Amino acid sequence: MSEQRPSSVAGSLARRGFADPGEAARLLAEMGLPEPEAFADALTAAADPDQALRALHRLDSAGADIRAVASDEEWFAALVATVGMSDALADHLVRHPVSVDRLRGVPVRAPSATERRARLLAAVGADADAPAPTASVASSAADALRVAYRDELLTTVVRDLVHGARVDDIAEELADLADAALEAGLAIARAELPPDAAPCRLSVIAMGKCGGRELNYVSDVDVIFVAEPVEGGDEEAALRTAQRLAAGVMRVCGEPTSEGSLWQVDAALRPEGKQGALVRTLASHVGYYERWAKTWEFQALLKARPAAGDRALGEAYVDAVLPFVWSAADGADFVSDVQRMRQRVEDHIPPREADRQLKLGRGGLRDVEFSVQLLQLVHGRSDVMLRSPSTLVALEALATWGYVGREDGATLGAAYRFLRSFEHRIQLHELRRSHIVPEDEVALRRIGRSLGFRTDPVAELTEEWRRHAREVRRIHEKLFYRPLLQAVARLDPGDARLTPEAAGERLAALGYADPVGALRHLEALTSGVSRRAAIQRTLLPVLLGWFADGPNPDAALLGFRRMSDDLGSTPWYLRLLRDESLAAERMATILSSSGFATDLLLRSPDAVALLADDRELMPRSLDALIAEARAAVARHEDPDSAVSALRALRRRELFRIAACDVLGLIDDSTIMRGLTDVTEATLVGTLEVAERAVAAARPDGQLPTRMALVAMGRFGGRELGYSSDADLVFVHDPLPGADEQEASDAAFAIANDIRRLLMAPSPDPALEIDADLRPEGRQGPLVRSLESYRAYYDRWSAPWEAQALLRARPFAGDQGLRDAFARMIDPLRWPEGGISEADTREMRRLKARMESERLPRGADPSMHLKQGRGGLADVEWVAQLLQLRHAAEVPGLRTTATLEALDVAVDAGLLDASDAATLRASWLLATRVRNAIMLASGRASDSVPTSGPALVAVAHLLGYRPPADMLEEYRRTTRRARGVVERVFYG
Amino acid sequence: MDKQTEFVLRTIEERDIRFVRLWFTDVLGTLKSVAVAPAELEGAFAEGLGFDGSAIEGFARVYESDMLAKPDPATFAVLPWRAESPGVARMFCDILMPDGSPSYADPRYVLKRALSRAADMGFTFYTHPEVEFYLLKNHPSEGAPEPIDNYGYFDNSPQSVGYDFRRQAITMLEAMGISVEFSHHEGGPGQQEIDLRYADALTTADNLMTFRTVVKEVALEQGVYATFMPKPFRDAPGSGMHTHVSLFEGDRNAFYEPGAPFQLSQVARSFIGGVLRHAPEITAVTNQWVNSYKRLAGGAEAPAMICWGHNNRSALVRVPMYKPAKGNSTRVEFRSLDSACNPYLAFAVILAAGLKGIEDGYDLPPGAEDDVWSLTPAERHAMGMEPLPGSLNQAIQAMERSELVAETLGEHVFDFFLRNKQAEWEEYRRQVNAWEIDRYLPTL
Repeated sequence: MSEQRPSSVAGSLARRGFADPGEAARLLAEMGLPEPEAFADALTAAADPDQALRALHRLDSAGADIRAVASDEEWFAALVATVGMSDALADHLVRHPVSVDRLRGVPVRAPSATERRARLLAAVGADADAPAPTASVASSAADALRVAYRDELLTTVVRDLVHGARVDDIAEELADLADAALEAGLAIARAELPPDAAPCRLSVIAMGKCGGRELNYVSDVDVIFVAEPVEGGDEEAALRTAQRLAAGVMRVCGEPTSEGSLWQVDAALRPEGKQGALVRTLASHVGYYERWAKTWEFQALLKARPAAGDRALGEAYVDAVLPFVWSAADGADFVSDVQRMRQRVEDHIPPREADRQLKLGRGGLRDVEFSVQLLQLVHGRSDVMLRSPSTLVALEALATWGYVGREDGATLGAAYRFLRSFEHRIQLHELRRSHIVPEDEVALRRIGRSLGFRTDPVAELTEEWRRHAREVRRIHEKLFYRPLLQAVARLDPGDARLTPEAAGERLAALGYADPVGALRHLEALTSGVSRRAAIQRTLLPVLLGWFADGPNPDAALLGFRRMSDDLGSTPWYLRLLRDESLAAERMATILSSSGFATDLLLRSPDAVALLADDRELMPRSLDALIAEARAAVARHEDPDSAVSALRALRRRELFRIAACDVLGLIDDSTIMRGLTDVTEATLVGTLEVAERAVAAARPDGQLPTRMALVAMGRFGGRELGYSSDADLVFVHDPLPGADEQEASDAAFAIANDIRRLLMAPSPDPALEIDADLRPEGRQGPLVRSLESYRAYYDRWSAPWEAQALLRARPFAGDQGLRDAFARMIDPLRWPEGGISEADTREMRRLKARMESERLPRGADPSMHLKQGRGGLADVEWVAQLLQLRHAAEVPGLRTTATLEALDVAVDAGLLDASDAATLRASWLLATRVRNAIMLASGRASDSVPTSGPALVAVAHLLGYRPPADMLEEYRRTTRRARGVVERVFYG
Repeated sequence: MDKQTEFVLRTIEERDIRFVRLWFTDVLGTLKSVAVAPAELEGAFAEGLGFDGSAIEGFARVYESDMLAKPDPATFAVLPWRAESPGVARMFCDILMPDGSPSYADPRYVLKRALSRAADMGFTFYTHPEVEFYLLKNHPSEGAPEPIDNYGYFDNSPQSVGYDFRRQAITMLEAMGISVEFSHHEGGPGQQEIDLRYADALTTADNLMTFRTVVKEVALEQGVYATFMPKPFRDAPGSGMHTHVSLFEGDRNAFYEPGAPFQLSQVARSFIGGVLRHAPEITAVTNQWVNSYKRLAGGAEAPAMICWGHNNRSALVRVPMYKPAKGNSTRVEFRSLDSACNPYLAFAVILAAGLKGIEDGYDLPPGAEDDVWSLTPAERHAMGMEPLPGSLNQAIQAMERSELVAETLGEHVFDFFLRNKQAEWEEYRRQVNAWEIDRYLPTL
């Protein structure tokens, strides 16, 4: 029998939710209760029934009358809830079984602060009505204080766990209790003063969470001490006494005794921090804040509140310092301080337990507290209604008076309350300071059950936590940006909203250089009842944050407004905005960081649709582009409209490439290739248009010659950048029997048409044609016949001309002529046996002369992308010298591409691999910087920007922080390349 | 506002300071100074003081000339040589770009970067310089230099100008919070040596800039002229700045290992290895003038060969006699430096060379216990001793190829320094000096 009974009890205990029913049954049996089943039933209400039972068993052994408690249902519930949650409080009860009485008949209303104070003072034998209560319990006063404090805490815990008090009320109670403990600590410190200590008035000012009456179960209590001599007393002597008292309070509360400790008293928020005097007079405090304090110190003063000691002095202190808080926003550093503080909120490096942090990290408690305080500082100066020391009260006020959206305020408030409750329950278990969500299932289950999740406590708790954290994570959008729109969108006339002045203050604090202009744009974007305005009101809060992340938020907002004016009511555009999609974020990034891409976008805003889909956004292949170009040419009879279509195609393709570049979706070679392809396709189409037009103008409708286009320079090498012209050479070949002059006239007409059509003013960007690389440069004829080229090269060809031909690549026009041209130049550029020593010497001399002559006056040679030390020309000449010397024997060198030539030279043993890598790095970096200059500003330049907004914008695109790192890397990379050039090229 | 800044602002009020000199150093090691009124100082602390960097050697080119000087409140000191009241104080500045980021052209930032690399490896770098200089009777404009006396090494020279001079200079240095360890008459006529107490390298470099100013000021007051020129007299020793260096890990001297040969830890051995291996390329920085090489060629206490010795005064690196029970004083002495270097850059390159040795685990080559000068060139070669660069030109060429120096100085300073030194060498090459006239004119 005696073997069986516990096991059947164990079964029923398991059903009741005990995790270890065997152990529970044993404990119940040991306690020898009359009605173990009913007893166990009552335990199931506990957050952790096993823990509760273990604690009751210990209490029973310690001599507490558990049976008596169990007979009073309410009392028993209070005890079970307390020990089922908190091991630390169970320990307290085991040490002091008599304290179990405290749990009996706990009122729903918390005692007043005065009552709390009186009780804790009584516990240390001090008279609460005395002007300066002094403890009379001699040796163990600190122990007595700890016991009394925990006894008080028991009733708070019952209100928290059993009566379901709101977390705000519990936090207030805890602050009151802390005040009372500080007062009792002060009474103990007074008792320890030597008899001859000079009299003084001392006030303990609570700061931080205690000051805001939003204290945790366990956290440091932040205080500041202020003291004055009594009337007519000596100030120095009084401060000495006050110093002893302050140090005494800190010791009494913080020092561990046999009863443990309460919490640390932290006085680090005082003037000068830990180095400053512990106690100062009121005048000294004021003097400090008048002269030395920083924005964050004013922010801390927001929560100053007299907590203990001389009441009148404490109030005088608060009255004296509070005005400083609201003057902070007038300080010269305010905007930069706020930006740093905002950065701090957004960027704080998450600690190791980042994803289990309730306090720090994105979406944590600190986020809410900091953001609320920031808004109080920005707007509290002009609006007294915002000046509450409590986060929740301030949040409510911000919502009530329109600084924060009403619903957002409510959601955030709910999230904050949940996170605080969660934090409380974590701390309650061992009464230890912690903001980390435990990983242990038992702990999570206990906390989940205590918060009312009974079905699947761990999963429900985690889900609820994630849900609230998600809300908090979007806090900046909600608190900072969304209300800006309410300032300008006059929609709900009844609701309070941000005034334009307040909105301007806030925009400036967020980094907008022209808040007035920004507000004007916001107003235009969001006013009215159209669907567009409604959608923009939703999206802009997010966009404003994205804009502020880029180097030029003002330009981005302007760009967005122009886009929106243009696309107005296009349904797909609104859909794109409404979904707050990837496309919208991409658009914001482009608008705030690239003048070039923004300009392309504004010329034709519908291109924004491309951003929605990666496949749509990727640059098109050459074949696809040519097919599209030909189709456009076929569609349009009129040359001008045909070329318009080609230029629109080019503009869209340029946008694709620029957008992918800004967004980091494609690599350097894809960018160069893409820019080359679109140029080729445009020229292929334009050549056909021009040929068609010239032929049509002839009496027979036929062309007397065939035509081809040869790409030169970077175009020939398929290395175009955003700012490159298209280097071209025109060649024609009269048809058999055609008149030479007529053929030549027709060829000139075609070449001129191509240039005219592509460079004519138009909404689309012009394609600049540069034909200066033709024989005799600008002095020579624009177009030559194949025979004329042959004659010229036979007579004149100098090594530098052969060098230019290395990158010649016939790409458009008559295939036969293209081949013939190539056959003609191949022996020149890839000479059998390489070029002579004399020619090599000549090339070196020419290069040396160009280095000094080509550089624009005043340009810094180390910072010039093209002609500078280690720049593009340096690397290209190395490749070209190797090609001229060895291309005949190494077929791989017969390429127009610089990097490919370098690679082949390495494979052929003509160039050291590490030298090639150095050259490649420099060439690519220079190319990248050159492209970024154009991308950022929309204006071409061959000099690396070395300061100001231009540097910031280029460095931002290339990912350098701080911007000066880009200069350092550029100098280093090109210096190394120059070393290679001097060895390999100059020999 | 931090404690230091508050302290400075308060002291300025209390001590009735009317001007504050903001000091910074150009790339060649010349001290630059801007005076501001105390009222402007708060702004300078917060945002820096704007100035035209193009006017400063090596700072910037004309079109990027806007720079900011931001005083470092930790370096605040009242200048003792101005009349007591109203007083003048000084602070060293960091040089910033207009956007507030540090300027790569600032020598102080060069050293700070090197120190932070050491800190990443867990080290603090301490230096202890022994500064030599000459006191002359006459100003350079008054003809050939004449030393103030004819005393020699350690001579007690009571009642002499040198004695008073040292006493007053040391008083002033101490008044500015710069501790002096030792001072005495050096080997040359009129030559003095004052040793600064060891401190972290940034403080030492700041102190050296102050030191040179103090010495010049005191000399002026006493009607003499002080010079840090590396080699002012052909027949008297040059003015070196032997510098003892050590690395600490927290409170522990990382160079010390009880029981190891010479009590030198592996860290110390690798550090010395690094300094020796990279000595040629850092010499243009540690000995930056044409004249510096005249000192190195002079023999005696000046090293010209790359080697190390235990208590060997002719080696580039000397490991001083170990004092039992003073493990924390273990250090190595770097002996090529001269008193006219830019201490920020010089300390940075020495540290970088040593750290490179530690990182790449260089070992210590065998030591040289003989007097290096007594060996024949063939003997030295056989022992694997290479000479230091023999001229500024050779040093420049070694530096040009050095990634280590480029990395340490930063590309901007590296580039400027080389260009400036190449120009100096080119100008020097065109000189026809007295020796040539004396030697050739009579016979050729």
